[in-house]
Amino acid sequence: MLQVLLVDDDAEFTEVACQIIEFIGHDVYVASTLKEAEEWLTNQQFDHVLLDFMLPDGSGLHLIDFLQKNNLSPYITLITGHPSVKGMLAGLCGPKVNYIVKPLQREDIEATLNRKTKQSKKTNSKMPTLHFGCLVGESKPMQELYTMIERVAKTSANVMLMGESGVGKEVVANAIHASTGATDPIVATNCGAISKDLISSELFGHEKGAFTGAVARKDGVFVRAGHGTLFLDEITEMPIDMQPNLLRALENKRVTPVGGTQEIKVNCRVVSATNRTMAELAEGKVIREDVYYRLAVFPISIPSLSERKEDIPLLAEVFLQQLNDENDAEFIWTTAQLDILKNNPWPGNVRELRHAIHRAFIMSDPTTKVMQLPSSFISPFASNTNNSSAISAGQTIEGLEKELIRVTLNKVDGNKTQAAEMLGISTKTLYNRLHAYGDFTD
Amino acid sequence: MNQEKNDINQLIHDTRAPLNRISMQAELIKMVLDNDMPKDKAIAAVNKIIDACQDCSKYLQDIAEFSHDD
Repeated sequence: MLQVLLVDDDAEFTEVACQIIEFIGHDVYVASTLKEAEEWLTNQQFDHVLLDFMLPDGSGLHLIDFLQKNNLSPYITLITGHPSVKGMLAGLCGPKVNYIVKPLQREDIEATLNRKTKQSKKTNSKMPTLHFGCLVGESKPMQELYTMIERVAKTSANVMLMGESGVGKEVVANAIHASTGATDPIVATNCGAISKDLISSELFGHEKGAFTGAVARKDGVFVRAGHGTLFLDEITEMPIDMQPNLLRALENKRVTPVGGTQEIKVNCRVVSATNRTMAELAEGKVIREDVYYRLAVFPISIPSLSERKEDIPLLAEVFLQQLNDENDAEFIWTTAQLDILKNNPWPGNVRELRHAIHRAFIMSDPTTKVMQLPSSFISPFASNTNNSSAISAGQTIEGLEKELIRVTLNKVDGNKTQAAEMLGISTKTLYNRLHAYGDFTD
Repeated sequence: MNQEKNDINQLIHDTRAPLNRISMQAELIKMVLDNDMPKDKAIAAVNKIIDACQDCSKYLQDIAEFSHDD
């Protein structure tokens, strides 16, 4: 049972609201002015204050000031006629302040007193769509990916997922599995993580006593996946001399457990994944050609995060919402923060973005609702990629020159004499160039 | 101009008050129908809703007249 203070100057409203709040099971006291409310709050402990925004002797915000000055911290719910107050609250008040909009309903009052605010429901309704229950993004490359997933899900073709590290290959594998509607599970195994000796046992299972330590019979992943999906991650890390065994299973759809004599029929779709590029597959001896053609009946290339920058804010919203739900917090992004995230290169793709958001979430001040981003997102894996991607085909010489001057000037804190020396040109030439480009400011 | 805007906003704010009362009285009636409250509360609530509708109508009329004056 909560001690509730209802501050509103509409006597008829307070009368009926009191009956409802009492019925819900809380003790309720009424104040019709700020002064009365201050008196109540000075003399008695309250868990929750329901506060009208406009009162005869001032605004409800004055009472919030009063509470803060007196170190009182009940939950506060502003009753407002206008939802525009939301923006103001986000910047002004702590996590213990929310609002409800007139005309009120019983469920508004119940929800706010149970701390399940409508506000959080509203943010949920604003949440980006989860395609196939797990994929986020509305960009063109993602739309193409969704179409491919839908198409391939209707068939039983084996799929090979390609993409940089961290783009979400396992998530796409799950999406393919989910959209097939299969009742059997998706079974995942990482081919790079199993020792060479155990690969056969992991894939095809073993009979009891097949080798030292095989104390019981075990089904392999092909059998465990049933009519579902087998996800073979990092397929190119599987030793090449082990791949013929895999080829037989893929061709005949039958596996023989280690130490067994009976073949078992298998019927799962194999989704494999690699972070190698087509060129690497072609030149390096990482996958046998025959195995590749069996696995990559339908190859899907997953776009890197830099190819779909417009999806970054959507991903950031989803990740933050997940963290909020897990930790019972109510952090939000500002538009400026979403822009910063959008403009960061994220060489580690979605995984790096998620990691950065998680870190920022932990570092953010729990008394405010706004997330705090670090000044930079340096990761040990970021620097190499950054430097090497400075020049790419298709850039103009003028563009490169401009960029080089900008970077050099930044390096020497804008000292033009020093910059000209580093660039191997006269100061006058540097000034001429700067003048020609026009958009450098001193 | 600002004064006019303020007046209109005040009238709109005043209109929300009876709407808010109507909403809460209706909630009370729902509770009576669920047998959570005595029946006489519902009759009182219905009368208050009717009064609040009159108030609402009056405020809306004020807003209409106010905008015609411009």
